[in-house]
Amino acid sequence: MLEIKNVSKTYGQGTAEVAALSNVSFRVDEGDFIAIMGPSGSGKSTLLNVIGGLDYPSSGEVILDGKRIDNLDENDFVDIRRNKIAYVFQQYHLLQSLTALENVMLPLTFCGLGEGEEKGLEILKEVGLGRRTEHKPGQLSGGEQQRVAIARALVSSPSLILADEPTGNMDRKTGKGILDLFVQLNREGHSIIMVTHDPEIAKHAGQTIVLQDGQIVNSIDQNGGKRNGD
Amino acid sequence: MKLYQIVVKDVTRRKKRMLYASLGVVIGVATIVAVLTIALAGETNIYGQLEKYGANLVVMPAISDIDVGLGGLSLGTLAVGENYISENELPRIRQIADGKIRTALNIEDEGDIATIAPRLYVNTEIRGTSVIIVGVEPQQERQLKTWWRIQEGEYLERAGQALVGAMAAELLELNVGDKIALNGREVTITGILEETGSNEDYQVFLHIKTAQEAFDKEGLVSSIDVRALCSACPTSDIAGSINGNIPGVRAVAVKQIAETEMGMMEKVSKFLLALAGITLAVGCFGVVNTMLTSVHERIRDIGIMRAVGASRNQIIKIFLYEAIIVGIVGGFLGYVVGTLLAYVVGPLIFEGVAVTYVPQYFLPSLALATFIAVVATVYPAFHASKIKIADSFRSL
Repeated sequence: MLEIKNVSKTYGQGTAEVAALSNVSFRVDEGDFIAIMGPSGSGKSTLLNVIGGLDYPSSGEVILDGKRIDNLDENDFVDIRRNKIAYVFQQYHLLQSLTALENVMLPLTFCGLGEGEEKGLEILKEVGLGRRTEHKPGQLSGGEQQRVAIARALVSSPSLILADEPTGNMDRKTGKGILDLFVQLNREGHSIIMVTHDPEIAKHAGQTIVLQDGQIVNSIDQNGGKRNGD
Repeated sequence: MKLYQIVVKDVTRRKKRMLYASLGVVIGVATIVAVLTIALAGETNIYGQLEKYGANLVVMPAISDIDVGLGGLSLGTLAVGENYISENELPRIRQIADGKIRTALNIEDEGDIATIAPRLYVNTEIRGTSVIIVGVEPQQERQLKTWWRIQEGEYLERAGQALVGAMAAELLELNVGDKIALNGREVTITGILEETGSNEDYQVFLHIKTAQEAFDKEGLVSSIDVRALCSACPTSDIAGSINGNIPGVRAVAVKQIAETEMGMMEKVSKFLLALAGITLAVGCFGVVNTMLTSVHERIRDIGIMRAVGASRNQIIKIFLYEAIIVGIVGGFLGYVVGTLLAYVVGPLIFEGVAVTYVPQYFLPSLALATFIAVVATVYPAFHASKIKIADSFRSL
């Protein structure tokens, strides 16, 4: 469903030019759970941003469902964010003025899809927050806030979920709960790309891509051993 | 959940910031409302005066006073000696006034039309206090002074009677039935007037004949008030004709004075309004600034909304909705503050003017404030819509 072909991303110009990604290629199939690992500054988040259209690649192609999306203009990308790709961030990124339920309903509001209250409640229940729907982010724990963020990502039924260190701000136990949720979502058929520091978490992924200095240095397939990034 | 609901929830969380943002609009709108409210009060006051005296003109001796000036500078007026108009001019004044009104209104009737009230002013002393005595033609005077009310006793009717102003009666301790000597001539007080708030309160009114006899001014009057039939009557024409045909007198229509006053006031109002406009423009920049700050404060929120599917237009809409709220709040506060300002400042600008709040200004205030807030927010909103999602998260 998603293909990354020879993607490079450079910041700055001339002698100050820094390559954040160079020549990265890999594929994501329906139902895949891919972990992206690597030290800080290796280009993990940049890669995720390029895939999700939060940032443009300097060269190369990103192909989603047979269509190039790396060269789309802002307005066309809005449709992709509304229907196909959803994000979960390390910092949760919830709107502080809205309740948990309202945060979950936010994507539906932007799509102009009616009230969506039932759907929001149903999904909050699914992520284990059925009893805290009227709380504002400030009244929720980190784990709970991340569950709200996951619910918000699920509400528009995306085919691909991008998660940028979703457990990075949590203690091990809370992180485990969130990871279990991702594993469960993956079993239900959601494709997931997750950036993480934690090798324990990466173990749950079907495939782990290791980045260093913007290049794929290792690609481990949990089911079929090593494979090179093609 | 609708887009505007998101804005309302966000605005209620950041009340102080919103209030601060609306401050620029408040100041601008308040100044305009204050200026307009004061101007309207001044205008109403002049119209009120016109209603009361609009049909009047005053005939005075031509050289009752001399303008003292140096080049174009007026240094005031100087009264020269005692000047009077002869009573003999009264029929001619009536002839001119009635003639003009007949022509203007197409009246065939031959009877008297205008009220013509001659007055004789004399300065004298009663019980050791200096008082102005006014000799009047009782019936004509009464038609003119429609606002007179008798507090005690009866209205002046015959020679030998006196009607006393409220303050004069109080100061001189005069009562109905008292007899007072004026230059040796004894008169009886028949009535005391209610307070009118003008200098009439300090005057004593006699029958003009009594005044003339007592002070040796037989056949003389100080001024003649002429009241035409209606406000629309050609009082300026009458004044012009009197000036042209009767030597030694000067006739001035009250309407002319009011028009001059109105013209002055309009100039002052326009000037103030221009200042208010500048204030509003400055306020507008204030709003631009606060809104830009607001955009910066909410870069993260904007990024979040964009990441979960908000389009650029929706981001612009969110800020414009916010501007509408700022505008409505600013317009409301601006109207209230402006009206209060008018109550405080109005009497300082136009003396003796009673300021009242003007409900008709309320909705235009809201509209103006909203318009300004929206215009001021266009650039910040556009700026907000251009923010790159990845940058918005990185900026933290």
